[in-house]
Amino acid sequence: MKYSLKNIKKALIIGLDGVPYSLLNYYFKKDYLPNLKKILKDGFSLHPMNASIPDVSSVSWTSFITGVNPGEHGIYGFTELLKDTYSLYFPNAENRAASPFWEILGKTHQKVSTLSQKYDKKINFPYRSIIFNVPQTYPAYPINGILVSGFVAIDLKKAVYPDSIYSYLNSINYIIDIEADNAKEDMNKFINNIFKCFEIRKKAISYFFENKPWDIFFACITETDRLHHFFFDASMNEDHPYHQKFLNFYILLDNWIKLLYEDFQKKFSEKGLFVILSDHGFCSVKKEVYINRFLEEEGFLKLRKEGEFYERIDHETKAFTLDPCRIYIHNKSYPRGQISKEEMSSLISELKNNLNKLKGENGEEVIDKIFEKQEIYQGPYIDMAPDLVCLPKDGYDLKGSLDKKCVFGTNRFAGMHTWHDAFCILPENIGLPEKPSIENISDFIMQFFSKLE
Amino acid sequence: MDYLTKLESKSIYIIREAYYRFKRIAMLWSVGKDSTTLLWLCRKAFFGNIPFPIIHIDTSYKFPEMYQFRDERVKQWNLKLIIGRNEEKLREGMGPDQGSKLECCNELKTNALKLVIKKYKLKAILLGIRRDEHGIRAKERYFSPRDSQFKWDYENQPAELWDQYQSMVEEDEHFRIHPILHFTELDVWNYIKREKLPIVSLYFSKKGKRFRSIGCVPCCSPIDSNAQTIDQIIEEIRTTKTSERSGRAQDKENIYTMQKLRALGYM
Repeated sequence: MKYSLKNIKKALIIGLDGVPYSLLNYYFKKDYLPNLKKILKDGFSLHPMNASIPDVSSVSWTSFITGVNPGEHGIYGFTELLKDTYSLYFPNAENRAASPFWEILGKTHQKVSTLSQKYDKKINFPYRSIIFNVPQTYPAYPINGILVSGFVAIDLKKAVYPDSIYSYLNSINYIIDIEADNAKEDMNKFINNIFKCFEIRKKAISYFFENKPWDIFFACITETDRLHHFFFDASMNEDHPYHQKFLNFYILLDNWIKLLYEDFQKKFSEKGLFVILSDHGFCSVKKEVYINRFLEEEGFLKLRKEGEFYERIDHETKAFTLDPCRIYIHNKSYPRGQISKEEMSSLISELKNNLNKLKGENGEEVIDKIFEKQEIYQGPYIDMAPDLVCLPKDGYDLKGSLDKKCVFGTNRFAGMHTWHDAFCILPENIGLPEKPSIENISDFIMQFFSKLE
Repeated sequence: MDYLTKLESKSIYIIREAYYRFKRIAMLWSVGKDSTTLLWLCRKAFFGNIPFPIIHIDTSYKFPEMYQFRDERVKQWNLKLIIGRNEEKLREGMGPDQGSKLECCNELKTNALKLVIKKYKLKAILLGIRRDEHGIRAKERYFSPRDSQFKWDYENQPAELWDQYQSMVEEDEHFRIHPILHFTELDVWNYIKREKLPIVSLYFSKKGKRFRSIGCVPCCSPIDSNAQTIDQIIEEIRTTKTSERSGRAQDKENIYTMQKLRALGYM
């Protein structure tokens, strides 16, 4: 194969974890984000976007990078039970069943997916990527370029490819993520740590951006999500003690995006594709809703005392929930499951009925949407999908905790994820629907790289 | 040679080779079935008189049956036992309810072992880990060097040839040697049966429950089982779908992942 070195295309993609469309719009109106506003005038448009279902980072980012739904990439949450058992495990990049776009563009992809089949033959150059801090890419593995894994990466040595990257990151005391547990102790220190973590992340990003060769540069910022989990109530409330700090973070973010964008324009002028997106939205929490407790009270779930987590599921259990609200029928494939195939459909309608009746403060509805798996998932991994997935009304944060005594509760968290309020910024007039889904975006990136000059 | 004898010979060869290379060597004995099998192989390798010390890391949270079993075997087999305890942290009250389970493991196991290695200036440790035990262990080699921070320094990993690693040991590094890496869980039980090896009673079913893997009391839970004999255990393992360590909470990376997720409100 002959490669032409002329006209090599470049892309800069910025991921902002958990940044809602509605908040950006509000800040634009208030004129808090002048730089981003200016960039938009350069030929970009801001869209509201739907996240993946469920709307957690591991699933949503995986849907973005693979361009396919969980039925095809196989990641449904941060937690999963080993097939036909009650043993909990934490899926990571090794469990992902579809290739991310950088593997298709890098001509190194191992796994066939709808996206790879569509574009494999159309990519005529092995593009080199720098993939920085993208969630659910741990442990790091060989790519055509550089990979630094994001959340939930544990050991930095296992979070980098190639190995030589480790010594640089170690030398700047790089941190993968702030210790969110510290928020329990000192909120002031915690929020300062968010700023510190952002500084060090920016430093590392600049280093790779400036010093290493790349065609696709994709970096995610995690700090926005952390800020929102603990301080989202400060986002628009000017009387909130942390409002100014919250805003300061966004001002820093706005500046950083401007600098990166300008660098990108200077270096590659006409040939660049520029994208910004989030993986889900955020809103304030009114109540946490413990769906397993609800299932217990309604007689669907029975837990034993012995064992840890889901090992406690008793033979009388008909259904149980994994975070945030993935409901599984306890059918006969589980060691103690009793539900037969014939009983499934009536049990599913019974569950839907009961869940729809769940009422919050002042009789408000809690559940917004309930999906059966075949309605939202397609692909070879649909067998492991939850039988039902619920999306809540804003303000009711659905949780899969197993040890709660009441259906409703409160926690130290100020914000919760939303499915319907993610955003993306892409060039204008590329035929993007008014409100795309996160798994549609990588198709536009692939189109950009596959078009012949 | 039959299958078990082949496994045995390979292990004995590694044990003897390791002792020949490193005189400052010791074996880590958790009192569980795997390291007890390794202990038995060490006895066989040296005709009943093991020339190096046996380390037991005592977190103080082990099952009483384990302490009893340990002391009986030490007497019966005339072992040079080193008990490793992180006394300082134990005095401070470290335990699974103090801080995290990860921290507890780190202080009472990893750091307790570090202290022993430092005190006795050990250059190599024999361990009873098996390749099929755990995903992350699939990458382990028979000989794997650890740096002074106890991290597996895979960049500095020598080729697995007996004669090439010798000069590569850095001053404060120790080698981990895994003589039973090639055994599976089932092999271990078949070998225990053939050798009529004594084993801690916790592995056998009482009231419909038994332990498939043992460690500290707060972090181990029994599995449903009616296996009361070694034959019944072998039959159970042959047909089971669940993983061996499913009753254990202390896989470090998982515990840390769990903590991170919980800190953000998951689980």
